[in-house]
Amino acid sequence: MAEMQNENPTILNLADLPTRSRSAVKTSDQPSGIFAAVPNPADFLSSDSEDDDLLEEPIDEQEIYDLIKSISDPEHPLSLGELAVVSLPDIFIKPTLVNVPDSPLQTVTVLITPTITHCSLATVIGLGVRVRLEQSLPPRFRIDVRIKEGTHSTGDEVNKQLGDKERVAAALENGALMQVIAKMMETCQ
Amino acid sequence: MTSPTLTLLSDLTPPSLERTWLTAPHPTLPIVATCSSDKTVRVYSLTNFKLLSTISGGHKRSVRTCAWKPHIKGESVLATGSFDATVGIWRRWDNYGRTEDEATGLGLSSGADGVGKGSSNANAADSGDDDGAEDIDEEEWRFAVLLDGHDSEVKSVSWSPSGMLLATCARDKSIWIWEDLDDGDNNFETVAVMQEHGGDVKCVAWHPSEECLASGGYDDTIRLWREDLDDWGQVTCLKKHEGTVWFLDWEGTETTPSFGSVEDSSLRSRWVEQRALSGPRLVSCSDDKTVRVWRRLPKVNGDEPGAMSSAATGIPSIIRPTGTDENWEEDALLPYAHELAIYAVAWSSRTGLLASVGADGRIVLYEERVVASSAADSDVMDSEPAAEKPALRTEWKIVSVVDGAHGIYEMNHAAWAKRADRGSTEDEEEVLVTTADDGSVKVWTLQR
Repeated sequence: MAEMQNENPTILNLADLPTRSRSAVKTSDQPSGIFAAVPNPADFLSSDSEDDDLLEEPIDEQEIYDLIKSISDPEHPLSLGELAVVSLPDIFIKPTLVNVPDSPLQTVTVLITPTITHCSLATVIGLGVRVRLEQSLPPRFRIDVRIKEGTHSTGDEVNKQLGDKERVAAALENGALMQVIAKMMETCQ
Repeated sequence: MTSPTLTLLSDLTPPSLERTWLTAPHPTLPIVATCSSDKTVRVYSLTNFKLLSTISGGHKRSVRTCAWKPHIKGESVLATGSFDATVGIWRRWDNYGRTEDEATGLGLSSGADGVGKGSSNANAADSGDDDGAEDIDEEEWRFAVLLDGHDSEVKSVSWSPSGMLLATCARDKSIWIWEDLDDGDNNFETVAVMQEHGGDVKCVAWHPSEECLASGGYDDTIRLWREDLDDWGQVTCLKKHEGTVWFLDWEGTETTPSFGSVEDSSLRSRWVEQRALSGPRLVSCSDDKTVRVWRRLPKVNGDEPGAMSSAATGIPSIIRPTGTDENWEEDALLPYAHELAIYAVAWSSRTGLLASVGADGRIVLYEERVVASSAADSDVMDSEPAAEKPALRTEWKIVSVVDGAHGIYEMNHAAWAKRADRGSTEDEEEVLVTTADDGSVKVWTLQR
């Protein structure tokens, strides 16, 4: 980590990142992206006050996005959301067992776009996202974090590691690695 | 015959509060050992489903795997493998059976001593009943030895059928074979280190009667190993899975498929003949959501029979042309039944039934059935020599599916064990023991 792998990443304005407030007005067919209005802080407060309904309210892509957008990049003082490493359109929630309609299991898929195609930190970033979701979401969610196709030179290799439950479990017991992950999470509430 | 179905008999209590990885039934006693991420192993009774002991203090990280040494009398020996890269050997004088009725809830917790690996752990919260005051040394698990050699997380351990050899494997891509010198001093000798796998070795499993080891792993391959003139070497490499091979199990030596309506003594003897030629089969499960059965191809007549198996004659062959390569083929691809990675498969040595479990929280039970072949088949039956008859065809059917077996949690392991509680009706009745991410271990009965 001594040398920056990508010294000039594209950075999105914090205010331009998708938020709950905009998804609420989605009906007006507002284009998502950089033309969106600056979110009103009050919107955050109001969504917080809905705690009572939380149990009934299904977890949606925006909520997943909100959980991971503020994770810091291990190399830049910027968040994964600002660097567009994670983005709302690359988050999917689907029932895990399609043939069992009453199963509560859901699979959250997050596609990660590394800032450069040979980023050696892709695994750490992916692990950070996975750990963040595992720790925040109820256990009925199956978490599937992978590199978006074509955005990384060794994507398949990274995906296999991120998908390996045993390796992830062992990583969580690895002090050095967890320090890096904890540092990335410092910027999450 | 009606299809077998699984019914929940009991949970093992109290459970671990953290993920449990594997539950190993004892080869003879009605007890099981459950490995947990909380760095301990819990020993439960299959008679009343209560905790008997908690083995703690030996490992610094998750205990991933364990295995009971077979063929020892008066004492139980357990090998444990941990993410801390070590393998522990634990011993305890057998007395669970004797005091079972009253003492099953006894807190027989023990800690490692001697090597300074942690301290004794009373684990009072877990020990249930309160009459554990009479703990004496003989009732405790004794930490015997720590096998050090792997560079990273140990994933699986397995004792050879004789109990002489212990195989261990790890993320460091290696398999180690240790010989238990049984010298009363807990000495183990490294017999071999095999490093052919291209990634983590996830599982090792010994053949039920021969010194042949199967391994599977992150490189998606299954490999078989035998000793040839003092050297352990790979005899075959099976590359059909398209994802990590998570678990392997061997067919028992006594079971046969279900013959159903095609029952016929000559069919049965033909099956037994066929089996004698190729030996027990191997089953594998994978991240690719498939379960596959593998069979060794019998050597063709006159084709160096000595290389096939010295076990057949009892005399090791002197002339072994080009190593001990064996030909294995995929015998069956079981019907697709899982939506996510399959972490374990268990082949019952009593009933021949297969069970698979995985991340989708589903238990699937499969039965092998002999397929009635064409009418002409019965004509040749008694006239032709066995070798020229077409191979007996079987197919695997899904006979039972349990969704959400551990609620919303993933299952990491399943194993068959002899039923031991009072509800048992027949002598050889079996239970399936499943182990899940939330720490729960469940015991299921099979009803026909």
